[in-house]
This record gives sequence, C-alpha cells and structure tokens, in this order.
Amino acid sequence: MATIRYAEALNLALREEMARDDTVFVFGEDVATYGGVFKVTQGLRDAYGDRVRDTPISEQTLTAMAVTAAMTGTRPVLEIMYADFLPLSLDALVNQASIYHYIWNEQVTMPFVLRTQGGGGVGTGAQHAKSLDAMVAHIPGLKVVAPVTPADARALLKAAIRDPHPVIFLEHKLLYNLRGEVDEADEAPAEIGRARVARAGRDVTILATSRMVLEAQKAAEELAGEGVSAEVIDLRSLRPLDLDAITASVARTNHAVVVNEGWRFCGYTAELAATIMDHAFDDLDAPVERVAARDMPIPYAETLEREVIPDSADIAAAARRALA
Amino acid sequence: MATPITIGAAGGEYMEAVVVTKWHVRRGARVCAGDLLAEVETAKAVTEVESPCDGVLGEICAGEGDEIAVDAPLGFLLADGEDDVAAEVDAPGSTPGPPPAARPAPAADPGARGGGQPGRVVASPLARRRAGKAGLDLRHLAGSGPGGRIKRRDVEAALARGPTGEGGALPLMVLHGFAADATIWSALAAELGRGRRLIRPDLLGHGAAAPAGGGFEDVLAPVLKALDAVEAPRVHLVGHSLGGAVALALAGRRPARVASLTLIAPAGLGAEIDGATIDGICRATRPESLLPWLRRLVSDPQRIGDDYARAAMAGRGEAVRGAQAALADRLFPDGTQAVDLRSALADCALPLRLIWGRDDAILPWRQALAAPGHAALNLLPGVGHMPHVEAPELVARLLRETLAAAEAMGEATLEAEAAQWLTG
Repeated sequence: MATIRYAEALNLALREEMARDDTVFVFGEDVATYGGVFKVTQGLRDAYGDRVRDTPISEQTLTAMAVTAAMTGTRPVLEIMYADFLPLSLDALVNQASIYHYIWNEQVTMPFVLRTQGGGGVGTGAQHAKSLDAMVAHIPGLKVVAPVTPADARALLKAAIRDPHPVIFLEHKLLYNLRGEVDEADEAPAEIGRARVARAGRDVTILATSRMVLEAQKAAEELAGEGVSAEVIDLRSLRPLDLDAITASVARTNHAVVVNEGWRFCGYTAELAATIMDHAFDDLDAPVERVAARDMPIPYAETLEREVIPDSADIAAAARRALA
Repeated sequence: MATPITIGAAGGEYMEAVVVTKWHVRRGARVCAGDLLAEVETAKAVTEVESPCDGVLGEICAGEGDEIAVDAPLGFLLADGEDDVAAEVDAPGSTPGPPPAARPAPAADPGARGGGQPGRVVASPLARRRAGKAGLDLRHLAGSGPGGRIKRRDVEAALARGPTGEGGALPLMVLHGFAADATIWSALAAELGRGRRLIRPDLLGHGAAAPAGGGFEDVLAPVLKALDAVEAPRVHLVGHSLGGAVALALAGRRPARVASLTLIAPAGLGAEIDGATIDGICRATRPESLLPWLRRLVSDPQRIGDDYARAAMAGRGEAVRGAQAALADRLFPDGTQAVDLRSALADCALPLRLIWGRDDAILPWRQALAAPGHAALNLLPGVGHMPHVEAPELVARLLRETLAAAEAMGEATLEAEAAQWLTG
C-alpha cells in the first residue's frame, strides 16, 4: 500500500494502461510538455513520446478527433481542461460518440475517454467553476464516472480506458491533492456502475457525487453528534446508476438526501430524487431532500461562492429536514 | 338507456379538447337524428354537433363556454319514457362508492408538500404501507411530521399504544362477504374507525389474500389467527354474508375475545341461498356478464352502473375467479348452504345484532329469525343484500350503538356476568 495523491493515482493509471496497450494515447491542451495544468499527465511525454500530444485550444475539434480516432482502432484519452468548456464538445458527444454504435449497428466501437475537471470552491469564477454533470449524464450512450478517492480514480480511469464505449471522466479541482491509500500491486480496473458505501448508517441515506461525498461525510460526522446515523453513498458512476445500492440503502433508512454540486433545476439531484421515487416510493418516510448549487452563475468572490455551492452544513440541514 | 352525445371526429387531428360555444336545444327538448344540437369550437373552426338518434335531451355535461375533452360526452339523449335521472345514474362517479372523508382539510402549512386535496390524509408512503399492513386507519392518527404529515413513527406509536387506541376503544374487525374484499368497508370505515383500530382482512381467495382452495375451516383459520394476534383484550366483530358466518364461527371459538358481534345478512343460518347469483359472479369474465348479477345484490339495481361492474371485474382475474368458484363449490354446493351455524347463533351470549335487508335476493331475511332473544334485529326496508353499501349511514349508526353499549357495560360488569355464568 502507498499513500498517493489523486492526481498521482490518475497518472499511475495512465502509465499502466499506456504500457499495457499501445493503442492508448493522450492528447489535449498543455498535457504533454507542461504535464497538464493539474499535473495529471506529468512525465508521460518523456515516457511515451508522441503518444502524448499537445493541441491547440479547440475543444470542439479535439472531441471530434477523439471520436474519429476511437472509431479507427485506437483508445484516445482526451483532456478537456475545464468542464465549463464541455458545451464545446457537446456536438461530438451527442451527435457522434453516443450514437455511432447504434446507427451503424455496432460496426464501430467508441473506446474513448474524455477527462475533465469541474466544480468550484476556490474562487475561479463563473467560467471555471461549474459542474455540468447533468448535461453529460443526460445523454444515452455515454457513461459518466466521478471518482472521489485516489484508489477509485486509478481503478475507474483504467476501466474507462478499457471500456468499448465513450466514458466521461469527471474530476474535481479540489480533489487533485487529496491523499489516499492505493495498492500499487493491484492493477485491476474497477467495475463501472458500482456505488460505494463511504460511511454506513441507519437513519438517512445521503447519496453524493464527486467532492460532495467529502462534504456528506463531514455532514454525517456532524449528524452523529446529534445521534443521527447517516449513511453516505459515493455513487462513483453517475451513469449507469447503481440502482441496487440506492434502493437497498433507502429500504433500510427510509429517508434520502441527494447531493450534487451542479445546479438544482433539471439537475442531477432531480434525476436521483425521481429514481428513488420510481423504485423505492413505498420505502420513503419523507420527501427526498435535494442539495444542489443555487440556480445562478458561480460567483468569483469566495464569500459569495460559498453561498452558492453546497457544503456539509447544507447537507446536514437537509438530513434534519428529512428526519423532521 | 341514455345515449351519450359525443363530438366524434369533429375535434379534428391533434385536438384533445373543444369549447362548447352554443347549445341549440334545451334539456327536455325532443330531437330527431341529425338535428343540430350544439356548436363546438376547435383550433380550426366552429363545428356543429348533430343528434345521433331520436330522443329527448337529458343531462348537459358541458355548458356554453365549457371546455370538454373530445372523448367525453357533451350530454345525454334519453329514449321516450326514460327517466331523466337515469342518465345521471349511468354517468361516471355516481356509482356507489365511499363517501368523501369527513376529516376537515388540514390547515395550510409551509412544511407540507402537496396534500392540497381536502380530506386527503397526508402521510408518508412508508407510513401508509405500514398502516395498511397493520390494518390501521390513518384518518385517525395525528401526524408529527412537517405540516402534520403522518410518518412511520406515528404509525408505530399508535400500534405500540396498543390496539385499543385512545379512550380505551376496542378494535373493530370487519369481515367482507363472498366475492368482495376488504375495500367494501370503505364507506363505513370513515364512520367506524374513528378513535379505534380497524382490522380489515381479506378472506382466503379474496382481494390481497392469496387465492387458494379449501373449505370453511380454511377460510376461518387465518382470521382466527389474526384475532389471536390482536393485543387488545377483546375485539368487536362485524361480518357480512360469508364474513358473517366466519364472524359467528369466530365468536363461537373465542367468546372471551369478542366484545360484540354484528352480523350483516350472514351466511350459515339456513339452507336457502341464491345459487344462480353465486354461479353467475364466479362465471363472469366480462363486466357485461358480471353486471346483472351484481345488480341482484342490491335493492335498487340502478345503484350498480357499468363503471362499478368494470371496476369489480378488474379485481377478478382468472386466479381469483378460480379460487372463488372452488370455494363456492365447497360452501354452497348445488345452490345450497352447506355450512350450518344456527346452533352457534342460538348459543351466542355476546352482545349481538343482526342487520338484514328486506329485499335481500341472495339470503332471505327470515333466516335472521334463528337469532336468540337477546339479539337486536334490524330489518331494513328498501335494502338488498348489501346494507353496509346501500345504507351505510344507518348501518354505521346501528354499529355505533352496538359498540357503545358493549363497551359501556365495562370490563367489571362483563367479568361479574361471566362469574355468574360460571357459578350459576
């Protein structure tokens, strides 16, 4: 076991997969010479040469290139520096990547990974702090994962690279320095679509994604001081959803709080709340509580940003409302 | 039979509703097929609606200015001599059903979400499920959640308080008749469940109880078990028809657990029964063939409309029909009642009431005369085999009297009486 940072775990996964399969290649803005603005691709250029390439700033073109490369037999790993720029990638995702296996009767596969990072909390402003999870999770044919621990970051990135379908890999700028234990000898990929019980509890289920899992764990700690036993589930995969894990937990706790850093209206929490009502309605003892960002641009001033992006206090308050 | 006046194809493509702009005839006016009845406005044009047949204009469902769905009737045409009221009887929603709950609408509360429908109980899905399983009527619980929402803890607290609930009221167990199910008590539940726990099991082969073969003992056994499981010292028993026979048998087996016994047109008190209706109900696979037999159950056949038959048929899948046919073959072979509980009735020393409709076409009310002298006997005029459906208010009143009288006697009196019986 080694304790490494989240960014290092991603770097490790890329190295392992590039060594294992020489069709894997990495490209994006500043990923080669500079090693990535968040240092995820550091040293890869030295190790793998032209399989790690810098590109101009053109997310739309880059995503279409990834689609074409994947169709023609390679496994591209594209980095889009900020999730805020995913709208530029959308046409290639919605009209190409997600549908080609379908409209061409599975004559093509689409094994590519789009890595990006989103979220706020450090005053990066309205163009560099968004969580557009719901926008990509909405699209049939895409898988969307969002690991929160270094071990999951490594195992899920390996799974994403090996997956025959396009996978959107959502990172968070506040997670890169998070340390966690990773078993370097265990090179097995994760299974996409499996949630993780981050903290077991009896009274209320908190479903969270990405960095919000950490906030949910803090909230659970706070609630424990009040005698409330909260279960925190790290979804890990936003699409496909681990329905069994969700329904099993809600069946035990009968109360659910759903948390996502994206906007509330038509947001990912809306999908989670509806899913719980579709599949566990009769287990609910209270309405599902949603915790999400306020429906407005993410403010640059950090004091205001804190009011817009949910945190552990919001989650604990939602749990108290559910249990009222 | 009233003929509905519909818009038909006049709505045009993509239209879900039209607006009635003008009625050209009044209620009661005589019209011929093809006569102009009304004008409706669609998205594209105003269209004339013609009479589909000769007749008299009866009820008007959509007045001028009203919007109406393209598949809904604008009104009804009556045949010559047909009573205007009949049109209303056949209209949806006028079939016998539970009366609106008497509970006042909850006060508006920012903590409540939804629950805007007056009289609707605001309870969490889980609380509803738990209460349903326990036979607890949510209308009589106070909710502790936001806006008065009943939560699981409220249901569990009510169950933990003991089935007697507040005020020492004993629980009430109601047993439905052949081919019905526990929902038949809905009309009475609002009246009777107040302040007391209502236990409404489905009999074997009926409703939610798994279809299974067997005879009277097999019907009796699970209900006996349910009675034994009740924590309250005693239970008021009410049974209708087959459920009446079950209630009487239960009272015979567990007299000490029964506070009072009310039998509504009970089976088991004579050989005679209308076997044709039993057979007809078991045989029916469609609402049309079920309807005439359902109508025999009540004094006024107009009470049972097509909608009622459709709803009843929906709950009568092949498995249920098969189970009930097998049960009927054991209980009522060759149109004869095989179960005879007359001696149990004669021996019954409990507070006892029999309620029977004088127009009962299934079980003749004269069978009630087998009751012992202390029994109250109510023979309801203008009522058929379903007094609790046909005259729910009167039946509720009679039940309240029985329950109140039995409880007023009190534990001490009952114990003294029991001691007298034992020594004397």
